Amino acid sequence: MMLAATGIVFAVLVAFSVPIVFALGTAAVMGLVLGGYSLEMLASSLVGASQNWILLAIPSFIFAGTVMERCGMSNALVDLARALVGWLRGGLGMSVIVVSYFFSDICGSKMAEVSALGSTLMPPLRRAGYRPEDGASLIAAGTAMGMLVPPAIFMIVIGEVTNVSVVALFLAGFIPAAVIGVCLCTLVAIQAHLLGWPKDTRPSLMFLLRALRDAAVPLVIPLVILGGFYLGAFTATEAGAIVALYSLLAARLYYRNLSWMQILRIAYDSAVLTAVVVFLLAVATIFQYLMGVTGVPLLLGEILRPLESAHWLFLTGVALITMVFGMVLEGLPAAVVLIPVVFPIATRIGINPIHFDIVQTAAVGIGLFLPPMGVGLLMALRFAEVSVGQHAKGYWPYVLALRC
Amino acid sequence: MAAPEATAAGPGVPRDAWRVRDIVLLAPKIVLTALLVLAIGDMVVGVLLRYVAVPITDRLDLDPINFFWVEEVGEYSLAWLTMVGAGIGIAERAHFTLHVLTHRLPMAAQRAIHLATHFLIAGFGALAVWYGIQLAIVNSQLTSPALEINLAWLYIAPAVGGALIILYSLGAAFGPMPEPESFDKAGVAAAGND
Repeated sequence: MMLAATGIVFAVLVAFSVPIVFALGTAAVMGLVLGGYSLEMLASSLVGASQNWILLAIPSFIFAGTVMERCGMSNALVDLARALVGWLRGGLGMSVIVVSYFFSDICGSKMAEVSALGSTLMPPLRRAGYRPEDGASLIAAGTAMGMLVPPAIFMIVIGEVTNVSVVALFLAGFIPAAVIGVCLCTLVAIQAHLLGWPKDTRPSLMFLLRALRDAAVPLVIPLVILGGFYLGAFTATEAGAIVALYSLLAARLYYRNLSWMQILRIAYDSAVLTAVVVFLLAVATIFQYLMGVTGVPLLLGEILRPLESAHWLFLTGVALITMVFGMVLEGLPAAVVLIPVVFPIATRIGINPIHFDIVQTAAVGIGLFLPPMGVGLLMALRFAEVSVGQHAKGYWPYVLALRC
Repeated sequence: MAAPEATAAGPGVPRDAWRVRDIVLLAPKIVLTALLVLAIGDMVVGVLLRYVAVPITDRLDLDPINFFWVEEVGEYSLAWLTMVGAGIGIAERAHFTLHVLTHRLPMAAQRAIHLATHFLIAGFGALAVWYGIQLAIVNSQLTSPALEINLAWLYIAPAVGGALIILYSLGAAFGPMPEPESFDKAGVAAAGND
């Protein structure tokens, strides 16, 4: 009864555009009152959850990603990707996928990525004769794939929520992302032949070397992150600090196109985003406590029991739910509301926690770019200036490739 | 008594009043930015101490450098950043929000929902203030292990955050309604942390 009431309050408030964190907070407070629990845990949860060393990686990766986007590192990556694969048929389309992989390596924010790639790649795609809806599909699918490429803020959050090592998740994301990237490039190659997409002229060796040199500055970051993690040299939080310092030095000493005032503005924006994410996590801990004491995981376990016979069936079922949550509620609220409930069931039936987290990360990535209301897709469509309806027809092969 | 001087910001409002208002609105933003700089700077110092200073002191057989405080400074600054930023996030409309129904309703209904939403948020802020103060009082007898500061300085953060939530939500409640276009932008901007 109490649980149904809190669920209904949450759903109604969200539907009436109350910010999700406050809808969650109000429902949680109501649940605490109805259940006869002390409201004192409201303040202690807010401090307890936000006073967290692992979550300190979030502000540094957001700050670093925004600095790198603003100082134009994405342009160097686009040039490199075009030099590498642009001369194939549909190569410009493939270079969108390749650059998404590279850019996700240096940028922890999906929206910063869509914004950077949309503004950088949509004009050349149009000039090369790609339809705007195809351009939007490429950017949306590439960025959705990039969800698995560290450092993704979502991975830090899901790692924290499920108590799994963030470094392990970062290391586990690279290869599945590469596999999805290959699937998407294959799809682009097929579409290029069917739709007659053009190819760039083959680049000279000098052009390729110049593109490599220009891209070396941003590409140091994935090397540092990957190398540092594999060698066990530093934690995700320390990697964030190193990347933030590196991006600041690159912006000030190499690119020299960001003033201190602009950097302070980026720091402010990063702080607001960090606060929004961590506050959501903190408020969600009250909700998670309520769900725990009222036996929601057990109840859900009973409902999902038919799927427990096969791990793949359970993972697929949960991933589909996560995808819808990711589309409707956006990524992070989905993580803090849904994942803590289904995660104990997954571990109980023997699914590897890292495997589970990676599948759910991919599902949220797809959900963010799923029509009709995935917020990442809407942003990509804004750059392409096409409507959801116009775009949906040609997008389904990309969604299928992402699901593969 | 002299009539208040008209200003560009609004007729009949004393210039000093606007200056005070601007400072009040600007101060939390400066504090928020400073907290982010402190958090990242602290982590950078921690990395430098661990990977540069410690090997040097080990090699030269000097007294080891104590950097236990790094973790506490980082964690405390994140806790404060979260609470201060949660309030500012209301003014920036940065919190995740779903816009599927409200903007299709008549204007009067939209206005009523806008007011009710922000009063609800202010109510949540009031609870954070009340229980935050209780929590700070309970913890005021304790000190942190590394920095040895009174833990009330940490546990008062929800109360300060709650006060800012009240301030910004009431400001938004009585301010102009956001345009439908900016609703979308807010939704998209808020998703930036995925």
